[in-house]
Amino acid sequence: MTRSHILRALVATIASAAVSSALPGAMALNLEKHPGKAIYAKLCLECHGKSGEGDDDLGVDPLQGTRSIDSLAGRIERTMPEDHAEDCVGEEARLVAEYIYHAFYSPAARGGDAPVSPDLTRLTGPQIHSSVSDLFAGFRRADFPQAFEERGLKGHYTLNNRAKAGNNDFQTEKFEREDPRIAFDYGAGIPELPEGLETELPQFNINWSGSFYARDTGVYEFTIRTRNGARLFVNEHDTSKPALVDGWVAAGNEVREEKGSIHLLGGRHYPLKLEFFKHQEEKALVELHWKPPHGSREIMPTEVLSPRWRHLTFVGATEFPADDRSDGYERGTSVSRLWLDAVTSLAFEAADYAKDNLDSLARTKADAEDRSEKIRTFAAEFAERAQRRPLDEEARRRFVDEPLAPRSEGEDPEEGIRRVVLRSLTSPGFLYPATAFESLETPWARATKLALAMWDSLPDERLREAAAKDALGDEAQLLAQSRRMLGDARARLKLAGFFEHWLQLDEKSEIAKDSERFPEFDETLVRDLRTSLTLFLDEVVWGESSDYRELLLADYLYLNERLAPLFGRKAGAGGGFERVSFAEEKRTGVITHPYLLSALSYHDNTSPIHRGVFLARNIAGLPLRPPPEATEFIDSHFSPDLTMREKVTEMTKAAACMACHATINPLGFSLEHYDAIGRWRDDEKGQPVETRSVLETDKGDRIEIEGPREVASYAADSPEAHAVFVQHLFHHVAKQPLLAYGADTARELENAFREGGFHIRDLFARIGAIAARPQSPTPPSS
Amino acid sequence: MKTTYPTQRRDFLKQLGLSAAAFPFLAGLPGIRSLGAAEAQGGRKRVIFMFSPNGTIPWEFWPETEGSDCEYKRILKPLEPWRERTMILNNVCNQVRGDGDSHMRGMSCLLTGTELFPGNIQGGGGSPAGWAKGISIDQELRNFFQSSSDTETRFGSLEFGVAVPNRADPWTRMSYTGPNQPVAPIDDPRRMMEKLYGKVEDRENLVGIVDSVREDLRRISSRLASEDRRLLDEHLELVHELEQELAREKAQGELVHPVPDIDPRIELVNDNTPRISRIQIDLLVNALANDMSRVASLQYMRSVGQARMNWLGVEEGHHSLSHEPDDNEDAVEKLNKINEWFCGELAYLVERLAGTPEPGGEGSMLDHTTVIWLNELGKGNSHTLNDIPFILVGGEKATGFRMNRHLKMPEKTAHNRLWLALAHSMGHHIENFGTEKFCEGGPIDLG
Repeated sequence: MTRSHILRALVATIASAAVSSALPGAMALNLEKHPGKAIYAKLCLECHGKSGEGDDDLGVDPLQGTRSIDSLAGRIERTMPEDHAEDCVGEEARLVAEYIYHAFYSPAARGGDAPVSPDLTRLTGPQIHSSVSDLFAGFRRADFPQAFEERGLKGHYTLNNRAKAGNNDFQTEKFEREDPRIAFDYGAGIPELPEGLETELPQFNINWSGSFYARDTGVYEFTIRTRNGARLFVNEHDTSKPALVDGWVAAGNEVREEKGSIHLLGGRHYPLKLEFFKHQEEKALVELHWKPPHGSREIMPTEVLSPRWRHLTFVGATEFPADDRSDGYERGTSVSRLWLDAVTSLAFEAADYAKDNLDSLARTKADAEDRSEKIRTFAAEFAERAQRRPLDEEARRRFVDEPLAPRSEGEDPEEGIRRVVLRSLTSPGFLYPATAFESLETPWARATKLALAMWDSLPDERLREAAAKDALGDEAQLLAQSRRMLGDARARLKLAGFFEHWLQLDEKSEIAKDSERFPEFDETLVRDLRTSLTLFLDEVVWGESSDYRELLLADYLYLNERLAPLFGRKAGAGGGFERVSFAEEKRTGVITHPYLLSALSYHDNTSPIHRGVFLARNIAGLPLRPPPEATEFIDSHFSPDLTMREKVTEMTKAAACMACHATINPLGFSLEHYDAIGRWRDDEKGQPVETRSVLETDKGDRIEIEGPREVASYAADSPEAHAVFVQHLFHHVAKQPLLAYGADTARELENAFREGGFHIRDLFARIGAIAARPQSPTPPSS
Repeated sequence: MKTTYPTQRRDFLKQLGLSAAAFPFLAGLPGIRSLGAAEAQGGRKRVIFMFSPNGTIPWEFWPETEGSDCEYKRILKPLEPWRERTMILNNVCNQVRGDGDSHMRGMSCLLTGTELFPGNIQGGGGSPAGWAKGISIDQELRNFFQSSSDTETRFGSLEFGVAVPNRADPWTRMSYTGPNQPVAPIDDPRRMMEKLYGKVEDRENLVGIVDSVREDLRRISSRLASEDRRLLDEHLELVHELEQELAREKAQGELVHPVPDIDPRIELVNDNTPRISRIQIDLLVNALANDMSRVASLQYMRSVGQARMNWLGVEEGHHSLSHEPDDNEDAVEKLNKINEWFCGELAYLVERLAGTPEPGGEGSMLDHTTVIWLNELGKGNSHTLNDIPFILVGGEKATGFRMNRHLKMPEKTAHNRLWLALAHSMGHHIENFGTEKFCEGGPIDLG
């Protein structure tokens, strides 16, 4: 055994003993004698400070982070001390890494013995909207099945066959059929009739009814294009109420467009009804278009339509202020006056809704004898579900009896219900779910956490049943529930939110390009690209294998008739989006999707730095420090003959820059074949594009990069990449720090992810179950 | 395009009549806003259009003689106390022709004075039609008043309805902001109250919420770790802030007392129509007194309306009755009762205006207001658009119109010329309104 090996074994023993010891003193004592300490004092302390606290004047950040000892050692070997990296290599670098890791770098060292505990959080904006909506939906026996076989809408046709008497009195013929989408140009004719049916007059009316699936939360714009009379009802069964789009009265026989917009919650199905009639006008035409959030206007596609009837969904119109994302993910860790006003406003909206729909919610009728009993039952259940637990007598008094009691003689019970709803939805127990429970170890608390993790919502009936039977005690029970919950469309909404976050889609909602260089790149194109990416993500994630590696390695894109020509392809015959292979362009999953490539570019050129930073941090899991000083890329500072790669190389050549840019640049350069809107290019400034480089990781891996394929393959196989994916998903799902669930949880999840074939949905379900399990942190294993 | 979109915080506060959002109407209250220069001379000018449907019974409506000492017949009897303020205007016709049946043109061309677009809505006769091709006189005057800071008001115009069925077609809309742009009247007093004054009853609920949330927060905080308590403490602080705002608002509210003492909660069913009518009139007069608007309309039912006036002992639908021949005595008796009732509502509106002192001005509100009662037809069973029963009630000084008479215009005087006269009396000197050929001869002389 060489000297260094002995030392290493010794250090490892000391270190693990120190960490697992319950006595803080022991740790300090042992580290005092650590050989890395002396090296640190000699080579590092001057800039980094005695306890790694850094130095503001020198611009040195505190030495704190989440790298492993291996990763730290590699980094020290390559970059430290600054400008003299050769002074600390090999075993010495490793010793320093071990020392700083245990002394102050790692989360455990910084926290000492104090475990990271989950923070008290309130519901986020999307969570409060979903919770209130589902609270009502639960009383309508609403289900949220994702899978349905039938597509399209049911058409109820009525033909005015012969005039009987007067202008509005006809003998009619009726029939029904399902239509895949609403896009009919009848000219001067009539709809195709079933065999055996005849008519004399070209006059008819058609009522199409069914429902549609809203994937995302946001504003949906509907357009009726018609020459005749038509009106559209969305999320409204009562056609005596005002229509969302009212084009009942035509002006002449010309084609015109009538529009209306409505804000909807994603991951839900909404009832839809389109009424159309053609009278004596010469020609008839009717089309139903929509423009979903992020999407382009199109004929409402068959895939989202269903002839099945759906319940109404309460959708509050109140807008909430953006939630805090200073931890890197959205969570409710702060309150403001704007937020309080939004809470109050939504509570009033909900109170009015309960009042207006009281009989159907309480399953009673205006003249029913037991109406007041039914209303009381509804009030009690509403309050209980809002607190997400059974109410004891005292709580029942505060949340039900007091608000329900009439304020004056003869007061309508509806006013009492309004107060019950206001009381529940403004209560801390509803807004800060953890505070509703005396202990977080009750089955009700677990059901609550599971519902928030999987759906951003409240426990459904099955979770409530399980909680009542105390059947949420062990991991297997929790996991069985979270896997069941994947089948609900709200789980899709939750996962869609994760991809927005992981791929930074929410930060790049507006992408604009130089209109002279990229005249085709308008708002419609951006929306088309976004749809293309969404289709890809949905196919991978919700396909059978749900394979994370497919996200990185797929060699195809979804293109429609507008995108295909731009990417050098012919539009498919069918219209709409089709899957097109791009193997020869080395396309590789999200990394080379033109939406992301466009978002990670300048308005007139590529940006290897933006692309490289994104790939390092979010895809490859290679940590980067913030830049020591803010540096702006100014194109005019460079000779116009230089390629983008040459400019970036020139700009980042200083050693201080290269600490990180040695990682960023090779990753960014690998994508130089894709221009600022993600199209393939062979050369730039008359020179062939060069994408090759070598990336050295902190672990000491040497990756020869030819192009994005090597980056994708590296990420697909790299534990660091898996870890960063797991971490992002965990934070999005649980909205708590991963460390709060025990030091081993990350590794446990990563291992399960790898062993389970990188199944994204399964990982999601596992995270949901962990988020709901007991939170007393397990001590880190040695 | 209608948009159902997230409410902004301001809207929510506005609904509660709170905070900064309260200023727009506080600023419009008597004594707070000084009268503009133009107003200082002539005072405010207002106009109210009151509509009732399905024609009248001419021989029980029109007095036999012209002039000041004509004898009021049965239908106009309720107006007798106000005869010095009233002009009965005969021989004015809606000459607009083209697509649509008489009811549709009667309604949608009444205030617009112009044709309907060809369309797809089939009436009882004529060719199918769509919406009117132009702006209506009430909206024209609204735009005129809103174009000057002296006459600008918070709403510009208010469209009240009574028992208007919830459907949009040329029979239910008389007010248009432009071609193809009908305006829906608000026939729910509760919605109108909210529009004008915010959700008053919710202030009380808000106070209740504040109390119980504070209690909950204290209860929970006591068992939390101090770090977690921080968030709830901040919440408590915000609740306290809201509470103070409510208290301040209450103090201010007592000073200006802008909210009329009206309970607008009423079920919108046929038999409640008389009560709804009175609530809407009270709200209307209040809104004008607070100078929220200078232009208003009050639409009863709709053209071809089938109100069943059980409160008058009339069980048949109004429109069906109006089709009965003149020799059906029972039907005529019932139609007389119906039109008498409408006239009684007009009289109530006039009485309320006369009984309210003009805010910041001289005399009563009636002195500064012109109320115009109109109908889409002259006579129900003939569907004529001639001799439409036009009644003007109001102050002579404001308009220069000479009241206290039965005035017979030359036969078939186009009603476009009446709207020109009205516009000119408000200081809006337009040469044409609606279809140009019907404006020949210019504004009729009502002075």
